[in-house]
Amino acid sequence: MLEKLLRPVSSFAAAVVVCGMLAGTAHAETPLREVIDAEVAKVWKEKGINPSAPAPDAEFLRRVYLDLLGTTPSYQETAAFLDDAAPDKRAKLIDKLLDDPRFAEHQTREWDMVLFGRNPPGYDSGSREGFIRFLREQFAKNAPYDQIVKTILLAEGDTSNQGAPMFLMQYQRNPEDAAVAVTKIFMGVQLECARCHDHPFEDYTQVDFYGMAAFFARLQRVEAGTNGKEKMLALGEKSTGDVLFTGPAIDATPGKKGEPIAPKFLKGEPLAEPELPQDFKEPPNIPGGKMPEKPQFSRKDAFAEWVARPDNPWFAREAANRIFGQFLGKGVVHPVDNLSDVNPPSHPALLDALEKEFVAHRFDIKWYVRELLNSKTYQLSSAGSATEAFPLYYERAKYRPLSAEELAASWRVATGYDEALAKSGKKPENADDFAPLTRGYMLSFFGKPGDGEGNFQGGMHEHLYLNNGELARLFANSGDGTLLHYLSKSEDPIEKKVERLFLQMLSRPPSEEEAKFFVAYLSETEPSGQRQQNAIWTLMTCSEFRFNH
Amino acid sequence: MNPHCPRNEHISRRALMKGALATAAGATVMNWGGLTSTPAFAAEVAKKQKHCIMLWMNGGASQFETFDMKVGRPTGGIFREIDTDLPGYKVCELMPEIAKRIHKLAVIRSMRTSQIDHPGGIYLMHAGYAEAANVRFPEIGAIVAKYAGDPNSDLPNFVKISAPSYTGAGFLGPKYQPFGLDQNGRLPTFSVSGMNPADEQRRHELRSFIEESYARDHQAEPTRMHQQAYEQARRLQNVRSVFDVESEWQKYKEKYGDSAIGRKCLTARCLVEAGIAFVEAGHDNYDTHADNFTGHKARVPVMEKAWAALLDDLEERGLLQDTLVIWTGEIGRTPSINNRSGRDHYVRSWSTALAGAGVKGGLVYGESDRDGHDVKDNPVTEGDFFATIYKALGIDPTIENYAGIRPIPLAPFGSKVVEDLLA
Amino acid sequence: MAALNPAKPQHVWDLTFEGDWPTSVAFIGGSRKLAAGNREGKIYLWDIPDAPPENPDLNKGGRKRERPDLDPVRLLEGHQNGITHLISTADGNTLISASLDHSVRLWNTNLAPEGKVEAVLDMDYRRQQTRRKSEEETKKILEAPGIEVEVQRTHETLAGHADWITALNLSADERRLISGDDDCLTIVWDLPARKEISRWTGYPRDWIRSVALSPDGKTAFVCEHANKADSFDVPAPRVRLWNADDGTPTLDLLKLWTPETKDEQRTDSYGYAQTWGKLLKDGLVCAAWSPDGKLIAAGQGGEIGGGVGNVHLIDAESGKIVRTVSEHHEGVVDVKFSADGKYLLTAGRDTVVKIIQVEDGKDVATLGKGRGGQFKDWIHAIALSADEQWLAMADISGIVQVWRFE
Repeated sequence: MLEKLLRPVSSFAAAVVVCGMLAGTAHAETPLREVIDAEVAKVWKEKGINPSAPAPDAEFLRRVYLDLLGTTPSYQETAAFLDDAAPDKRAKLIDKLLDDPRFAEHQTREWDMVLFGRNPPGYDSGSREGFIRFLREQFAKNAPYDQIVKTILLAEGDTSNQGAPMFLMQYQRNPEDAAVAVTKIFMGVQLECARCHDHPFEDYTQVDFYGMAAFFARLQRVEAGTNGKEKMLALGEKSTGDVLFTGPAIDATPGKKGEPIAPKFLKGEPLAEPELPQDFKEPPNIPGGKMPEKPQFSRKDAFAEWVARPDNPWFAREAANRIFGQFLGKGVVHPVDNLSDVNPPSHPALLDALEKEFVAHRFDIKWYVRELLNSKTYQLSSAGSATEAFPLYYERAKYRPLSAEELAASWRVATGYDEALAKSGKKPENADDFAPLTRGYMLSFFGKPGDGEGNFQGGMHEHLYLNNGELARLFANSGDGTLLHYLSKSEDPIEKKVERLFLQMLSRPPSEEEAKFFVAYLSETEPSGQRQQNAIWTLMTCSEFRFNH
Repeated sequence: MNPHCPRNEHISRRALMKGALATAAGATVMNWGGLTSTPAFAAEVAKKQKHCIMLWMNGGASQFETFDMKVGRPTGGIFREIDTDLPGYKVCELMPEIAKRIHKLAVIRSMRTSQIDHPGGIYLMHAGYAEAANVRFPEIGAIVAKYAGDPNSDLPNFVKISAPSYTGAGFLGPKYQPFGLDQNGRLPTFSVSGMNPADEQRRHELRSFIEESYARDHQAEPTRMHQQAYEQARRLQNVRSVFDVESEWQKYKEKYGDSAIGRKCLTARCLVEAGIAFVEAGHDNYDTHADNFTGHKARVPVMEKAWAALLDDLEERGLLQDTLVIWTGEIGRTPSINNRSGRDHYVRSWSTALAGAGVKGGLVYGESDRDGHDVKDNPVTEGDFFATIYKALGIDPTIENYAGIRPIPLAPFGSKVVEDLLA
Repeated sequence: MAALNPAKPQHVWDLTFEGDWPTSVAFIGGSRKLAAGNREGKIYLWDIPDAPPENPDLNKGGRKRERPDLDPVRLLEGHQNGITHLISTADGNTLISASLDHSVRLWNTNLAPEGKVEAVLDMDYRRQQTRRKSEEETKKILEAPGIEVEVQRTHETLAGHADWITALNLSADERRLISGDDDCLTIVWDLPARKEISRWTGYPRDWIRSVALSPDGKTAFVCEHANKADSFDVPAPRVRLWNADDGTPTLDLLKLWTPETKDEQRTDSYGYAQTWGKLLKDGLVCAAWSPDGKLIAAGQGGEIGGGVGNVHLIDAESGKIVRTVSEHHEGVVDVKFSADGKYLLTAGRDTVVKIIQVEDGKDVATLGKGRGGQFKDWIHAIALSADEQWLAMADISGIVQVWRFE
């Protein structure tokens, strides 16, 4: 029934025609999605590259679910989409998923990894429910990106009720670390090297580095009270205190009077700070037990105000590039957190357009994501001869490994674990992202995929988990509602079972050859249901499942 | 699958017989790998091959607290020097065992490298190249695995025991990716299959069918890596016992010192003996920006005892002449001592050491100036270092691989082999 | 004898002592004679006048100073490696020095000197002056004449250690001395007889980081700890009280402080390190027993890593931690009680000395100001004069600071 939908609907030639038509049009009047396609096609033409065909519906469906919701679609969702004959069903699906509450959940997980990583510094940031709630709310109400960042950096309120202060809380007492993180995440500037010596390849000096660190020099962690279960921490700021600079690390010896460095915007103006009242004194520590008072003048606030201002040349560019990279696999500048001159963009005009349009649309994240996902570039197939995970010229869809959370969620959908749970009326034993698998194992085997730049690094470790680990909790679960239950108990013909197996697990029907092979395999009966389990395990662990492509 | 590789011609018939008997007696062998996987056979192969063990001082050990003493100079620090078995050459008092084995070492006191921070330095001192945007250079482990490893072994040819990895096999591809062991040298959790072999075989066939059919029109590297890693994991089941060094550890614990690094060094010896081409053992926490002296006092003695034991053990087993033991980290440490009683990063002049296959012993190469600020003579760059190592291992450092259309020699173009170091 | 009055501390002298870090200071007996040792193994003596000169030369040799300097009078020559501790007996006849050269030495500084030698105490300044100078000029600067000082070589040696001696303390009755080394060996000495009373070895992978004796010398406090040898290779520390007569342990303080930890978990594991790390940080690196015998003060050292090092005040009878005080950014280095036991003086890696009121833990004075960048210079050791009007600090930037209390 689904065969016709599986066939690519058009060829590369069609894509080029569309792009060609747009090539001469001014960007301002052209939707961003078309600008993307035009810019990408321009380079294909220059380089003589043959891109992959457009992705079939099923491939698009799985990709867009994973990118927007962090899970594969259910059997019902897959069947409904593939059966839908509406010509604009892809655009409609993107709209629908952007409004799904799981979108905010998934974006929260993605950004939590950017802002904190798996092992954030500082004792407090290990559990950050308040911050997670804050982020989720921002994505749910589609708060503009610049506003979200500003709120995070203003860090007002406490870590439980408002949540936002937790980001900078990681770096209290370590203004140098705060400067490194903030410039990398929000500006795509790699300042780390300039901490100990002037940057070897770039125009950043140690004084530039300490000038940025100075904005965070006066922050202090304040225990403002408790809020039932959670500690309420606030980020206080003193009115005095400086980062002190003692010269290159290579000349470090005792006896150097540190020179206080005044805050200065990177490659910009020094911060204009009002004079403190004469004889101003303050205690070394901000008192706890209550919310801290505002300092005489807040350097932190001045930074938060500056960061998203148009005269910060990095902010919008970094944001546009980072989000582009999140969905297209590779930023126009890659890695996304290094907008350095020595790391130029692959499509300079495209990056300019992305930046300009994201700003023009007031950092509207959903609008931006909608444009990216509706582009033909995003909707290319992952089949093709290009071997890179993220082809340099976007000539084929990306191959991104599923994160630990995405794997767990998708395995649950694929094996029917969630459905069985719903049917049983039971509540999950723990509400953890990894249930029924073990969080510790999932994080150690899949927690940090790749080399830090999103590249998948093969290794046999994960197969030890996949082959011998605890996946049986999913594939051997025979409760009512599971796929195994259906395969073992249903009266449906075996052909139908195989089709369901593929639709539910890989979001596509089996090819003719696959159907034949699996039908034969499952036709042999064994009392234990071992073969059905093997079939489910196979589709859970195969390459097609392991990647978002 | 044909279990006979051309190497078989060089393997003694007796060893082959032993291998066959072991199989007949019921050793775990699945339907691939065959004879090449049995330990006796591997041991025979091992004797013909060159091997390499890299002792990785993560964070950057201080040259002033090891091989390049400046006692009495303002940069010298508080350790005293002791005599070695090489007349006139003294090393740090923290290394009494290594001091007795300088005749086995080629010490280089004139390293001058280009990457001063950890990530760049770790990349550089594993790959011989600085990190670049468009090429992922392979690490030395992958190169040795490719050019000196047994291609038919069920064992991984590139093993890391708690050592950092940034680039792994790079463009050499998934076949040469490092296989990591935990800090005890043990296989990771879930290394043992509890499945009935027949069921597992059927499951494997089904999976192979799916993977092959997918690979026909999906050629992305990640899927290929994923699939090859699966094969490796499966083949590992044959040779799991190689990684069980517990009984050896009980025997040799005193010799190597009852420390984490001692255990890692013993594991490295066992793995080389079993035929693995490259093993890297990491020793952590040398980044002594603070408390450099107590830091080195805690780390160097356990390390040097293990290192000395490794050299002796390899020699006693007749393996040292075919095994190159490299001692290095990513950087050296500053001559100046900061106000944290620490030393920071330094790459203008620092020290490394080699021993075993292809290199001279009892050689101290190069020299730093009076206070250790700069190399006085015979500077050795990262390229020279790796070119020399490859040559010592019988691998031509000018061999080119292609990253896309770009030819890339194993050691960077223009690197020189330091012939003086070679035996 | 007037008691310590912390109200108005005044920084009076900055004695130049450059070369390698000053690590130790002691006032000789009841005098204003001050001894300081450094990481090269040199010990100098200064005679501090009652008051600084009215018009001090703050530009001696072209070098700008904030406070008057004073040349030392004598060099004590003998140690072959860094000095770690200096203690003087109350009668001023015995200055005890411990060193990285594995020896404890005893000096009677009242003896006549054996001659004169040239001494250079401004080596750091000279080296700075040589920047961008020709080789010839450099040589001239570095080899310019120093000052002439008396030299004393006569001393006694207490031999018994075979590794760095990192800990030293004297009982209040001055009959017993305790020393500890990096081989985890502790020795209790009969000071008047110059003989060992007892010795014991702790956990072989640890170092002795701090020792103290009860006023009667019968009980010893010892902290054993070593830096980690690898990522997770962390020797478990010990903090114990010992019978100093026979070297038997009497109370395991760390065990008392972590009752929730079972005995079998007290291993070299990373997990246990998480538990003790909170209490000991990078080891209790300095200790002092209160003059009344009731309290032991022990300070957390190492570099804390962005946090503060505290001093635990421990009840010597029960072993319980009574109070945790002081807060030195990045770690404590030295700790001393005032003679009446009312105050605790602590020095840290933040270039300050704090005076803490023992009774309530109140921070009554902070002497000095942090110097450096993110990481500050240390005050490596402190000593109070017998009349408690003078405080000396070994400042690692090559200065012995002398302060006066009103």
